[in-house]
Formats: sequence, structure tokens, C-alpha cells
Amino acid sequence: MAIHEPGRRLMHHVPLRFVRKRVEGGGGHSVSAALNLTSMIDFLVTIVVFLLMTFSASGEIPVDKSVKLPKAENTMDMLDAPMVAINGRQILVDGHPAGSTGAIEDQGKMQRIDELGAFLKTRREQWKTLNPGKSSKDFPGVCVLQVHETVSALVVKSVFQTAALSGYPNVSFMVGQIPKVEHH
Amino acid sequence: MAGVSVDSGGKGGRRSLDSEINMIPMIDLLVCCISFLLLTAVWSHMARVNADAQVPGPPSTDQVEPQTPEKMLHVTMVTTSDDEKFVLEWRQGKTSVEAPIDVPRPHADRVAPGTCPAEPVRFTDLAKKIEAEWTARGTYRGAEATKRDQAVLHTDNKVPFCDLIAVIDAIYQPKREYPGAKKPVPAFNVTFSVN
Repeated sequence: MAIHEPGRRLMHHVPLRFVRKRVEGGGGHSVSAALNLTSMIDFLVTIVVFLLMTFSASGEIPVDKSVKLPKAENTMDMLDAPMVAINGRQILVDGHPAGSTGAIEDQGKMQRIDELGAFLKTRREQWKTLNPGKSSKDFPGVCVLQVHETVSALVVKSVFQTAALSGYPNVSFMVGQIPKVEHH
Repeated sequence: MAGVSVDSGGKGGRRSLDSEINMIPMIDLLVCCISFLLLTAVWSHMARVNADAQVPGPPSTDQVEPQTPEKMLHVTMVTTSDDEKFVLEWRQGKTSVEAPIDVPRPHADRVAPGTCPAEPVRFTDLAKKIEAEWTARGTYRGAEATKRDQAVLHTDNKVPFCDLIAVIDAIYQPKREYPGAKKPVPAFNVTFSVN
């Protein structure tokens, strides 16, 4: 069967041209079609509302890549404070190395970590420089520890003690938030 | 296209009152909002649990009389090879004021030393017992009290941090109203024992 050009078929083969023109129909729909935008706008508005509700102005808190944090139910909101990260090998203050966990574990007893203490004291002095009108009593003394979940209590307690002795008695442990389970 | 028609007649040869609201700027604005919010979205929500080192302040000349030590709840995590449990004991200074209470540690929470399970560790029995103890014997239970009860955590040095956090989480289970606070705060402050 021969291949024909696409187009209208009905009444196409009437031999008289003036009759064919009349019966075959010449109008047809416009090529341009209007899209219904209502559903699209509804969808966009829903996404905007959802994202606005989940928006956090405080931004994302950087967590050391090598640290896997434990999770807890009874937590508080995060705050802006010096970050001390403890992974399996190192202690880092805002990304700078400030001690080794291996050295503490080798000693086998709680101890003051001198490098960490020096870093935290420097941060304290920086706070005093940035807040010249405030006294030492106004210093919040808060630092946040990002501790890998398998780090031993000995290392955690040594860092805790060092922070306290360096003027940071309020130590917070960063954790992942898990939903509360009702205890009956 | 991309318009909203408001038909209001147009009889009698007058110009039609049909008007179209241009939707393109609105769609552009919505798309820009979505792009910005998606780029700045924070999907992992971090929180914190607090511990107070209880460092004494500078010496004051006003304090003449020695203060009696406050009653504190000592939570001991016993991790020996043949036994794993928690011991709760109210102490005033070094003196025990109540008989120690043993809380068994469920077998499901136990993992190999120095490791953590895939699921978050939860000591629900311990949390219940601590809440009951605070309700019965806590010093600062009133909504007007500006101080909080103190809990001291005793652990072995080899305990992994995930277990420590689970015990602190259990200690923070009881909550109470606090002057000036919008939502209930934990009834206890937690600190570590130096041992």
C-alpha cells in the first residue's frame, strides 16, 4: 500500500474543486493552546509553604566528617559556641588539631590535655577582645563537643575536665535528635 | 496564555472590560523562592545535651558559715564481666542518705565493648526509675525553684560514648517548670565523677 501524505481524508476525493472546498472543511483549531496554570501554581505554593516551615535561619552546623554522633531524646537547641571534635584519633578545636586520643588511652587515667587547654584559653581571650565592655562574669563558658560514638569515657572525661579548667564549665554534647517515645 | 481573565461584560460596542493578570512574574517569584529554600535547607537537625562541670567560683568574703552539701543522685554504671547494671544512690556529701537501688540493664542494649549498636541506645527502665526517684525524693520539685537537682555520673573509663549519652538522656527524662523558661527543663543537672 502506498504511503500517503498525512491530512484530512473525509470528502477529500470529491473531484469538483469548489464542492470539495465546501465539504472538506477549512477551519480547524488554532495551533497555540493555553496551558492551565492553576494546578502548577498550587503545587509551587505548597512547596514554598513546606520549605518555609522547615527553614532554619541558624544554618547548618558543621560536623566533622569522621565523627558519627550518638542520638538522644531529651535534648536542647544548639547554640553558637567553640566546637571541639573528638574522632577516633584526634581532638580538633574548630578544625585545628589540639591533642591525640591515643595518648590519653595509653596513659589509662584522666588527665589535662595541654594543647586543648591552650586553644580554649585563646578562644576565651578572643572573646574578651571582641567584648571589651563585658567582664569575665559575663563570659558564657560554653563549649560544644562533637564526640564519635565509640570514643571511650576516659577521653570524654579528660576533655570535659580540660574544658572546665580552661574556663568552660558548661559543656554540651552534640547529638542527633530522635523522636520521643512515651514511657508507660 | 499565562493569564487570568476577568470577564465583566463589554456590551453595546464599548471596549471589552476583559483584563488579564500576568502570571509570569508570580511563577518566576515562586520558582526563585523554591530554589533559594532548597539550597539553604537543613535536613539534619542537630541538638545538644548539657553537662555542668560544677566548677566553684572565686572565693567570696561574704560566705562565713560553711554550707551543708546538697543531696545528689549518684548514678553508677556497673560494667563488670559478669554483671551489668545501674545503681542509683542519694548521697549528701559522702554520706548515703537512702539505700542504693539496683536497676538491671536489659540484654538488648549490650554490645561488644567499645562498639555501639546501629539503633540508638535507650535505657527506658533507668529513665523510669530516675523519674520515680526524683518525684519521691528530689529537692527542687517546685515550679518556683531556681536551682535544679544534681546528678553525678560514675562510669568505667572504657564505656563507649553512646552509652554515656544514653545514661545522660535517661537522667534528663524527668522535667519540671522553671521560672522564666517557656518550656519544661530537665529536673537534673548532670556532671561526671572524677574516678
